Amino acid sequence: MRGLGVKAARIAIVVALFAIWEILSRTGLVNPRLLPSAFDTLATLGDLLQRASVRKDLAVTATEVVTAFALAVPVGALIGFLIAENRYFADVAKPLLFFAFSIPKSIFLPMFILVFGVGFAQKVGFGFFSTIFIVIMSTTTAVESVKVEHLTVARSYGATPMQTAFRVYLPSMLPVLLEALRISMIFNLTGVILAEMYASRDGIGHQIATWGENFQMKQLLAGVVMIAVIAIAFNELVRWVETRCSHWRT
Amino acid sequence: MTAATLRRLIVIGLIALWEILPRTGFIPELFLPSLSSTLAAGWNEGSEYGHALAVTLYEVAISMAFACGGGILLGAIVGSLPRPRILIMPMVSSLYAVPLVILYPVFTVWLGIGSESKIAFASIYGFLPTMLATAAGIQTIDPQLLLAARSMGATLSQRLVRVIIPAAIPTVLSGLRVGGALVIVGVVVSEMLISSAGIGYLISRYRTILDSPHVFAGVLLVLAMAIAFNAVIKWIERKAAIWQTGSRAGQRAADEITAGAIQPAT
Amino acid sequence: MQPLANITPLKPAGAIEVRNVGQIFRTTTQDVVALEDVSFDVKPGRFVVLVGPSGCGKSTLLMMMAGLRQQTSGTITISGAPIPEPDPNRVGVVFQEASLFPWLTAEENVEFPLALRRVARNERRAKARDALKLVGLDGFGKRHPHELSGGMKQRVSIARGLVQDPPVLLMDEPFAALDEQTRMTMGDELLRIWAATGKTVVFVTHSLTEAVYLADEVIVMSPRPGRIVDHLQVSLPRPRTYEMLSGDAFGSLRDRIWRHIRKSA
Repeated sequence: MRGLGVKAARIAIVVALFAIWEILSRTGLVNPRLLPSAFDTLATLGDLLQRASVRKDLAVTATEVVTAFALAVPVGALIGFLIAENRYFADVAKPLLFFAFSIPKSIFLPMFILVFGVGFAQKVGFGFFSTIFIVIMSTTTAVESVKVEHLTVARSYGATPMQTAFRVYLPSMLPVLLEALRISMIFNLTGVILAEMYASRDGIGHQIATWGENFQMKQLLAGVVMIAVIAIAFNELVRWVETRCSHWRT
Repeated sequence: MTAATLRRLIVIGLIALWEILPRTGFIPELFLPSLSSTLAAGWNEGSEYGHALAVTLYEVAISMAFACGGGILLGAIVGSLPRPRILIMPMVSSLYAVPLVILYPVFTVWLGIGSESKIAFASIYGFLPTMLATAAGIQTIDPQLLLAARSMGATLSQRLVRVIIPAAIPTVLSGLRVGGALVIVGVVVSEMLISSAGIGYLISRYRTILDSPHVFAGVLLVLAMAIAFNAVIKWIERKAAIWQTGSRAGQRAADEITAGAIQPAT
Repeated sequence: MQPLANITPLKPAGAIEVRNVGQIFRTTTQDVVALEDVSFDVKPGRFVVLVGPSGCGKSTLLMMMAGLRQQTSGTITISGAPIPEPDPNRVGVVFQEASLFPWLTAEENVEFPLALRRVARNERRAKARDALKLVGLDGFGKRHPHELSGGMKQRVSIARGLVQDPPVLLMDEPFAALDEQTRMTMGDELLRIWAATGKTVVFVTHSLTEAVYLADEVIVMSPRPGRIVDHLQVSLPRPRTYEMLSGDAFGSLRDRIWRHIRKSA
């Protein structure tokens, strides 16, 4: 009952925001050329999704995001695992990683253009670079979240390394790993879209930047709504899976 | 060899390689200009970089006031009232998943390519994590402390000033650290995208003429700014919270924020 | 002129009267009776222990006596007057885990209730020193809680409860988080402080040994709804010693309490 009420209230907030947007634009309180009405924007979004060029841009962006993610996750997970498993290595590498993690990555974007030019490799490279540090950090945290007591119990009952891996490590790490996956994806998407906006010939980020430069507000806002919906949908999907399998994690 | 020694050697090694690899031609100077030529480039155009730094710092300072002020205020309100918290917090963290950089073109259309659009964008960029951290910080306050204060007859305002605020300081500070870092990133990135002044603008301009040493000098300057900011906040954290080790809940929340739950995406 | 009926009879400081107290927690689905018809008296200067299994409402009762919670029915008076809200001049409270403020030193923690009333700094400091000396923490005033052991933290809490010199001290499982040895030592320390100050103490615990060892009177409660099932006098001589723990008198008292608790579990 209560959960439903909260959901309804949240939907009401979103609807109210769209209504305010609509009213501001319709009544002319805000110049409709600067803020096209919500309905117009959503209609434009519908049109855009019909257009072959926009679909192609989305496909390009999706390919870049998936490729960068597919490269960054295994590599980062491997490094993170090695760091967490070896005490000495961890002592050496951790402060360096923390440092690398805390510095802004976007300012290195020009270097990727200098090295890779403007194209697929540059976006994937920058997406990879934006994501890898968070993957390393999260994996380290995930491995460290395995309780020593559980490992001792498994060992005292004679579990083989394989059994320990699948019956202790994996279930203990799963919730942390899912959270890591979610956050890595946020980083990855931000990285790729920024790279596309900065210098690119295709991709949805490039399209949004172009609409901005040409003052095409309807298209621009439609693009913003589109990306926001995609990002939120992905985020909620992973969060839903997280709550599904986090019941044993208190 | 102790870990710290090896670490220092690695850092020194990396810096040395930065100088040696481009000089010996293993890596083209276009990809990675040597450390010395980067520093020389920065030094020679010192006044240009100085002007740019002033513009960027001005934008960072104003954005920081907006982002941190607004973030702390709203975070404190949302964090201390249970109903809005249940309602709004999940929405805010969903919003956090959106690559906010797509909003920048909207701001340039609305506010032009001057400082205003950068300030608007960077403020929004830094606002969310500060708010999330503050709300989380308020929530981690041990209810036992509030009960104890009440048993001693503390009024609502006394509880706010003497219990809630001091107890929330560590988490708010780590929120500030993340928010502030994001403000710096937001300003520089928006300068890099479309602008006519600031360090980000310099980086982009030199990039288009393939002048690597000058690009790197700019990057180095931004890095120095980010590191300096981080160091200042850490110093304040140590000063303000010598007792931090005592409050596990607060420490854990602070760790979570530092360890990625709320981090500067790119 | 006041009508005669409204004049509260003069009661000596430190007397506690609990009359027909009941507490009902209303949830959306049902009403839970936490306490039902609880009545007892505590004479000034007595050491009374409330025991009972978890869920018997003993902590809830203590919170009502501290003015931190209001009962659904019945009356509670402390030194002759009801306690609608916390009043540190009449009642000091010591909580289960160290509820010290981690950002304040031991001394500042003890000063805290005085600072709330804007007592002058010098007076504050002097009273805090005295209170810390009383609990045996002379010279530890400048330390922060994380630099103190569990037992020391609870001593600071006791000092904080006593700093305004209230006639009544309420303690909610104050030693529950401590290890066995520290717990024994703290029990002896508490008895020493009690003897030195002559306060009325109401002490909640679920340890039977602790209850019998410390108390003049033990009130045994049953869970859901919380009721008093026994009110027994502990006539062991004072000062209490470790040897008494193995004596017959001690054992039979403890057994009597245990039988009540086993029955209700």
